Amino acid sequence: MARIKGYPEALEAKLRDRYVYGEDTNGKFTETVEKISMSIPHMCYQCGTCTASCPSAPRSSYRIRKFVRRVALGLETEALTDPDLWLCTTCYSCTDRCPRDIAPTDVIMAMRNLAFKRDIIPVNFLKTVQAIYTTGHGVPNNDVNRAARVKLGMDADPPTTHTYKEFIPGIQKILDYYKLKANADRIVKEREG
Amino acid sequence: MEAKHKYAFYLGCIAPNRYPGSEAAAIKTSRKLGIELVPLKGASCCPAPGAFGSIDLNVWYAMAARNIVLAEQMKTDIALLCNGCYKSIWEVNHKLKHNDELRDGVNEVLKTIDMEYKGSINVYHLAELLYDKNIVGVDKVRDSVTNPLKGARIAVHYGCHLIKPRKDREFGATEILDTEAPTWMEELVGALGATPVEYRQKMQCCGAGGGVRGYDIVHALDIANEKLINLQEVGVDALTDICPFCQLQFDRGQIEIEEKFGVKYNLPVLHYCELLGLAQGMSPQDLALDLHAISCEPFLQKVL
Ligand code: SF4
Ligand code: SF4
Repeated sequence: MARIKGYPEALEAKLRDRYVYGEDTNGKFTETVEKISMSIPHMCYQCGTCTASCPSAPRSSYRIRKFVRRVALGLETEALTDPDLWLCTTCYSCTDRCPRDIAPTDVIMAMRNLAFKRDIIPVNFLKTVQAIYTTGHGVPNNDVNRAARVKLGMDADPPTTHTYKEFIPGIQKILDYYKLKANADRIVKEREG
Repeated sequence: MEAKHKYAFYLGCIAPNRYPGSEAAAIKTSRKLGIELVPLKGASCCPAPGAFGSIDLNVWYAMAARNIVLAEQMKTDIALLCNGCYKSIWEVNHKLKHNDELRDGVNEVLKTIDMEYKGSINVYHLAELLYDKNIVGVDKVRDSVTNPLKGARIAVHYGCHLIKPRKDREFGATEILDTEAPTWMEELVGALGATPVEYRQKMQCCGAGGGVRGYDIVHALDIANEKLINLQEVGVDALTDICPFCQLQFDRGQIEIEEKFGVKYNLPVLHYCELLGLAQGMSPQDLALDLHAISCEPFLQKVL
């Protein structure tokens, strides 16, 4: 009988390891994306239903199927540095239709989280953080709107953090816990001076 | 009518700070349908699921949880009127209820501000409450109408984050789980006396979400423009939505589309609560419709 190397343990270990190893690939990346996204991109069989459902695909080079493949192959840098990563509108059409029950949208979100750790992030995202840090609102009130509210018989400011400002320090504490404001300020300053 | 159902009204940002008429309309029209909306004091941005979810999902969970805890302290379920807010507030509530590890992580942060997420309340979108016959239902909506919007052809933009991803969602009315060709909003439009109109690619996104409107406005507008072309093809008097962010994208977006692409549609865009307000006899002034970027006049002339 032929000698079978380490059978069955070695074979089982191999079958359990679903990550790809190579010069530009990082199996850890696949694993991390799966953990953050709570999804299973390694199950993708590249049918393209996601790209066919994607409103961003016909008007750009963004291909969600390609991004899911990059995750499966562990192509970390290629995925995180591609500016198309930011063209997903998070419409979830792909997630609704994926025959493998993958959530490509959440896979994209996980990759964006990892990109942010490398300071790769569009500034507009950070400006929302800054607005919330000071006012509690991503889209704060303004004078035209205050006047309109008063005309409607409402308070000039809504009963949110705009009126109850004592809640703002709590919000700042949450954001500071994750050092989000400090990082946002630093990156915005680096980009815009 | 005596209020049978009471909810903490979670406002978000764009409704109170850009389209306050929809906030006013939501409170007033709900009261006529047996729903009392009470202020959720000290609530913040949901926070914006595209921006915050992209940067760090953990921050998104914690910030949304803070808003949920405010309602838990009132022992009151939340109602809201924005799909984006629904994504943050409903989905984070759902995730924290079902994932102990996530909940513990969030509670560690909340502890620093003397709060604790318990998972004791539910979150609803007003549109789903209006449709759900155990709460309001289409018939009661129809009965509340004093000024039928007769002769108006109105198309629906469902938006994404109330109904998608379908496999995570739970609704009292199962019709809402149809994300490919739903008609429950058309039923609600019909109940106001208007004619609901179908159009090509009805379920396509407005293009604004995921931070794309801020990141690449031309790309975002191009998606909205495709929908406007499809709407023009069938001829409608107004587009209705259940999301102030979609509303901003279609309303202000038309001005930007004119600047950038040189095309003009002049299509009035109204939140369903605003339409319901008109149908229940509120005036355009009561709804601050003059704040809309695209004039609602031609539509109003038809229905008033
Ligand atoms: S739809 Fe699902 S299985 Fe098909 S290519 Fe996209 S992610 Fe892969
Ligand atoms: S969620 Fe993103 S990737 Fe998926 S279809 Fe929508 S825009 Fe495309």
